[in-house]
Amino acid sequence: MNDSVLAFTLAAAVAAGTPLALAALGELITERSGILNLGVEGMMLLGAVTTFLVASATGSTALAMLAGAAAGAALALAHAALSISLRANQIVSGLALVIFGTGLSTYLGRPVEGVPLPPGARITRTSVPLLQDLPFLGRVLFQQDLVVYATWVLTALTALYLFRTRPGLALRSVGESPATADAMGLRVNTIRYVHTVIGGVLCGVAGAYLILARVPAWSQAATTNGIGFIAIALVVFASWRPWRALLGAYIFGLALRANFALQAAGVTAIPAEFLAMAPYLLTILVLIALSASDLRHRAGAPEALGLAYAREER
Amino acid sequence: MSAPTRDRVDDTPPSGTIRAPRRLALEPRQEVSRGVLVAVPVLAVLLALIVSALFLRLTGHDPVTVYRVMVRASFASRFGIADTLVSATPLILTGLAALVSFRVRLWNIGAEGQLYLGAVAAAGMALLLGDRLATPVNVVLMIVAGALGGMAWIAIPALARAWLRTNEIITTLLLNSVALLFINWLIFGSRSIWRDPDSGQFPQGQRIPAAAEFPRFGTTRVHLGLLVAVLAAVVVWLVLTRTRFGFRMRVLGDSEDAARYAGVPVRGMVLAVLLLSGALAGIAGAAEVGGLSRRLDPSSLAIGLGYAGIIVAALARLNPGGVVLVAVLLGGVRNAGTALQSLPDRVPMEVAVMLEGAILLFALGSEVLVRYRIQWPWSRPADDPAQGAGAAEGTDAAEGAADPAPGVDAADAAESAGGAAG
Repeated sequence: MNDSVLAFTLAAAVAAGTPLALAALGELITERSGILNLGVEGMMLLGAVTTFLVASATGSTALAMLAGAAAGAALALAHAALSISLRANQIVSGLALVIFGTGLSTYLGRPVEGVPLPPGARITRTSVPLLQDLPFLGRVLFQQDLVVYATWVLTALTALYLFRTRPGLALRSVGESPATADAMGLRVNTIRYVHTVIGGVLCGVAGAYLILARVPAWSQAATTNGIGFIAIALVVFASWRPWRALLGAYIFGLALRANFALQAAGVTAIPAEFLAMAPYLLTILVLIALSASDLRHRAGAPEALGLAYAREER
Repeated sequence: MSAPTRDRVDDTPPSGTIRAPRRLALEPRQEVSRGVLVAVPVLAVLLALIVSALFLRLTGHDPVTVYRVMVRASFASRFGIADTLVSATPLILTGLAALVSFRVRLWNIGAEGQLYLGAVAAAGMALLLGDRLATPVNVVLMIVAGALGGMAWIAIPALARAWLRTNEIITTLLLNSVALLFINWLIFGSRSIWRDPDSGQFPQGQRIPAAAEFPRFGTTRVHLGLLVAVLAAVVVWLVLTRTRFGFRMRVLGDSEDAARYAGVPVRGMVLAVLLLSGALAGIAGAAEVGGLSRRLDPSSLAIGLGYAGIIVAALARLNPGGVVLVAVLLGGVRNAGTALQSLPDRVPMEVAVMLEGAILLFALGSEVLVRYRIQWPWSRPADDPAQGAGAAEGTDAAEGAADPAPGVDAADAAESAGGAAG
């Protein structure tokens, strides 16, 4: 593989990893509050179809993204209401989001299946002046679109928020020990609601980005395609740390792209289906390796992840 | 579509003093009456129908017509009921698969993939055996193969969970995608024995020999799989209530520590329960191949039967008898999906999936009514008339609806936001 092919493949990996990174960041923020939301796939899909419909109706990229974010937030809010207020099982509730979100977005998207996005609404490349001329790195990192750059800013902000601010500290304490946080006067359920919804917003944006930048026309099957589930695994992979989530997303972006790169290079010995399995199998291997190397510490998971908090029952 | 958020449990410290909660509160029920157990799921289904009606209305379809067609297609005629039972057959089995693992708080979300592999194994067995053996032998061997296929697919997540505590939710979930790619490869991407060699342009599965087809009842499409599924429900119920294994499952489900102290071999139990769960899902795949599609057919298998099993188990409140009933109800909903497309205004059949999801959401939400008694604010003597006056919200809450505490003033909240630092 020569230099330019490598740069091209890595650039494609960054682009393919961006929706993953956005969704993983969202899930990371949610999980830091102690709420496990397995509904990422559902939120992404509903975000994507809402974005598509709004983009088709208005032609506005910004409006469409906002609508996608709102759709993700709405589903997340349902999850929050179920798992925080009504103390439902978070795992089942998250899966309900996947099923409901998939059903609803297929239902909404059926009439426009295969319809292309209006060209004006598409997110196009915006190269960074000066930096784009860097040898190699310029082509990999700085000839992308605005959402890619925004993802870096977002990752930095999330890391700052989590580890350098008081609300971030409050968030982490609620995820680690809600009873203690409650005793300290923190509003456990409010904090959990807010961060579950923020997570939903990011997943909605991830779906919006998929349809606005990556998929040429609305197609239920080709849009998320299980990316939401990989995003959930990425959070574990990243030990609940934002920068690692971003890096992980790009690694998985590379795995997602390897398919095309190998086909382009004329490798036919491995069937396409098996190449497509690679990201999933890789995730499973990493998870198993992580748990084998860190039996005691649960690999940095928030202590209260997945548990409802009821003051009178503690 | 979002569930109500206002009527939530109070989490606000009643600033300083200890008082009875002044707003909506939940009190755990000591025992649950039968009426509540029946009324709550019915309520959940009704609410789901109402919400879905809203979506139908918004997208320009008439909900009454849609629901009438659904009922007529699935429950009002002999053949409708038969088709509903056909749809219910795999749901009973995947519902049981979810049930056994959820009972011990293990989360096998991979019934979908285990079902595919069960189908692969059963079809492979049938194709290998050919016409040599009698049908009953074939059927039994296919079911065994299906169970083994499902078990094989869950083996790695189960071993990793039992020995390394690897999160089984994610591993089983991801394997669903792998399984789908695998069956697609068997039919579309390779020259495997599962593929019909004569299907050129549009590859499809090789038809299983006639001797391997599950018998059907009369002229309907209801097949032996239904009997197998109901039998499985009975067996699961017996195991749960009458055996040492079931007792250990209960102990383990209550508390892993308690189970360990009581001498339950935790690792072995985790492994066994997950394998059992995989086997049940695999049998569902075998029944689909043997009774319905009669070939390995990715498009008729990959319709979310495994995920729907989770809905079935949750709605049935992890009760084997309930699983059968709920599976029939949901089978009807799914079966009706296809009938909808024949309507003049072509309602997309995904209404059925949307309805499924909505039913699950509301079933989960209303579960709270089973576990808790709601104490309405007006049903208690109010001891603080100042409550709710001058409600200023002091957090950085982005969502107005998410902010639950009108009782705390801004200063309190600001203080509490900084409290964690100390």
